[in-house]
Amino acid sequence: MTTPRINFKEIKDWTIDNFFGSKLGILLTLFSALVITYFVLSMISFLSSAEWEVVTTNRRLLLLGRLPEEDTWRAWPILWLFCSIFCSSIGAWGNPKKRELLLLLLAFLMPAAIFFTLPYIVHIFATVLIGSVAYISSKIIRRTSYIEILKKALVSLWILIIPLSFTILIVGGGPQSNLWGGFLLNILLASVAVVAGFPLGILMAVGRATKLPVIKTVCTVYIETVRGAPLVGWLLLAWFVLPKFLPDLFGLNDLSVVIRAMIVLSFFASAYIAEVIRGGLQSISKGQLEAADALNLGYIDRMRIIVLPQAIRVVIPAIVSQFIGLFKDTSLVFILALTDLLQVGRIIPEQDPKFFGKQLEALLVVASLFWVVSVVLSNLSSKIEKNLGIGTR
Amino acid sequence: MKKKKIGKEIISAENVVKKFGDFEALKGVTAKIFEKEVVVVLGPSGSGKSTFIRTINRLEPHNSGKIVVDGVEINDDVKNLQKVRSNVGMVFQQFNLFPHLSVLRNVTLAPQKVKGLSRTEANDVAMALLERVGIPEQAEKFPSQLSGGQQQRVAIARALAMQPKIMLFDEPTSALDPEMIKEVLEVMTELAESGMTMICVTHEMGFAKSVADRFLFFDEGLIVEEGTPEHFFKNPKEERTKLFLSQIL
Repeated sequence: MTTPRINFKEIKDWTIDNFFGSKLGILLTLFSALVITYFVLSMISFLSSAEWEVVTTNRRLLLLGRLPEEDTWRAWPILWLFCSIFCSSIGAWGNPKKRELLLLLLAFLMPAAIFFTLPYIVHIFATVLIGSVAYISSKIIRRTSYIEILKKALVSLWILIIPLSFTILIVGGGPQSNLWGGFLLNILLASVAVVAGFPLGILMAVGRATKLPVIKTVCTVYIETVRGAPLVGWLLLAWFVLPKFLPDLFGLNDLSVVIRAMIVLSFFASAYIAEVIRGGLQSISKGQLEAADALNLGYIDRMRIIVLPQAIRVVIPAIVSQFIGLFKDTSLVFILALTDLLQVGRIIPEQDPKFFGKQLEALLVVASLFWVVSVVLSNLSSKIEKNLGIGTR
Repeated sequence: MKKKKIGKEIISAENVVKKFGDFEALKGVTAKIFEKEVVVVLGPSGSGKSTFIRTINRLEPHNSGKIVVDGVEINDDVKNLQKVRSNVGMVFQQFNLFPHLSVLRNVTLAPQKVKGLSRTEANDVAMALLERVGIPEQAEKFPSQLSGGQQQRVAIARALAMQPKIMLFDEPTSALDPEMIKEVLEVMTELAESGMTMICVTHEMGFAKSVADRFLFFDEGLIVEEGTPEHFFKNPKEERTKLFLSQIL
């Protein structure tokens, strides 16, 4: 009796209920169908006529900008370093499901596929190998008592990764820093801004929340000033005006444009992060402060152990959102004549007559690179939230 | 309850006044508390009883008057304040445990950071105290995974870890479900019997009657009447005291 047969009546009823249930429903269904068809057709016509040569010939430009050919090798150790720390961190802290690991792999494979070239097959293979080895070995260490040491080592490596990357770029007569470019530049700028801006933001937030009038005023003025002008304005200021005001000591006036951009982005990030964290500080109940006072904890311990961990935990989604915004804001450094990813994507179709009119291909690739990083960041943030969720309430 | 020896004076409050804006919460309170004494503070809501015990460790700075705790006057001097706070433990109505730290860490935090104990020393102290309040098996959990009664017992252990001479209880059972009040009162009774100096704001009259050496009755920011539990239950003098007792008994 129970033969698995498709129940056409059920399908018909479901369709009518969900798509043609009322006059408004019919209208919306027809409208959506039109819109979807239009987009699908344009996608198909674009993909069938798309020529990716503009991207494939300019791979190196997109990733590394004007970094000289003979210095290209420097990018690989940085990638391997990042890959090994990232993967072994997932192994040490995370509990990724198979599905998530697969998604992560896909997220990295997509740009890899776009940029794949035969001479570098060994390098790409090495990257995958390093990542897997790092992940699996930290999974194994996790079962032993050495995991605490590994975790400490990883934390210090995350802090060291930026100076290490700089060293790799500079060591042995590397290129001038204003030749750094492409996606590498975006990532470097964003990492520096996050790593420098986050602690500064915490200090500013705590400063603005104190009762000491001088510190409070200084922090408030700083935050409101930095937030009060557009990032483009600050970048231009760093380029044109800063040299005139700085004393000519320690070669301050000759600071490379990249370093200036890093400083400006760090300050800019810190002001926004400060306000986000201040919101978190206000969510801490008075009872927590009283308990810390009654236990005779000093101001610094109270802030460091009781208040800030709880405050930051509350605002993790907002902080990550700031980081993602900042990451994309780094493309504004084209104003300083730096060639970041977006700038490269804008320029390459104009360089060769055979690429004229291929802006869409170039910009799609640029967008997808930004997208991959942003999505990975936001997934990480929701993971961290869940991990920290224990014991919140 | 067994008769115990009451020691010398440890807290003296003279003419303490506390204002919140225009409102005078304490209008000149004078009281003395002696070592090993258990004092229960009674009074209708808004009478200033919580404010009074909160002035003793300066969670509420008083506006005028003089408070001396174990020979140290409470004033703007930070060193004095630290001395006083290291002698005074406090338990709150809302527990105020640190939700992001494990039970054990809640208890070991202050001994490590303030008294400079090593991690192992602090852990030993904390485990002994968790044993004393009856929940050593919960040490690795987080506060949110515990019942209200258990949380309040952790809070008591946390305060005791600093080895205070005086314990302040600010309505410790008022936020608890009825079936959990008993386990907290048992801990407090054991503490009283061990000779701890305690000041408790509480409405638990059974506990107050069996444990207290002395009652202080507050109304409208003043101590209206004080005396032994016997005095209060047999023949209170003041009309306001009689009215209050008739309402809660």
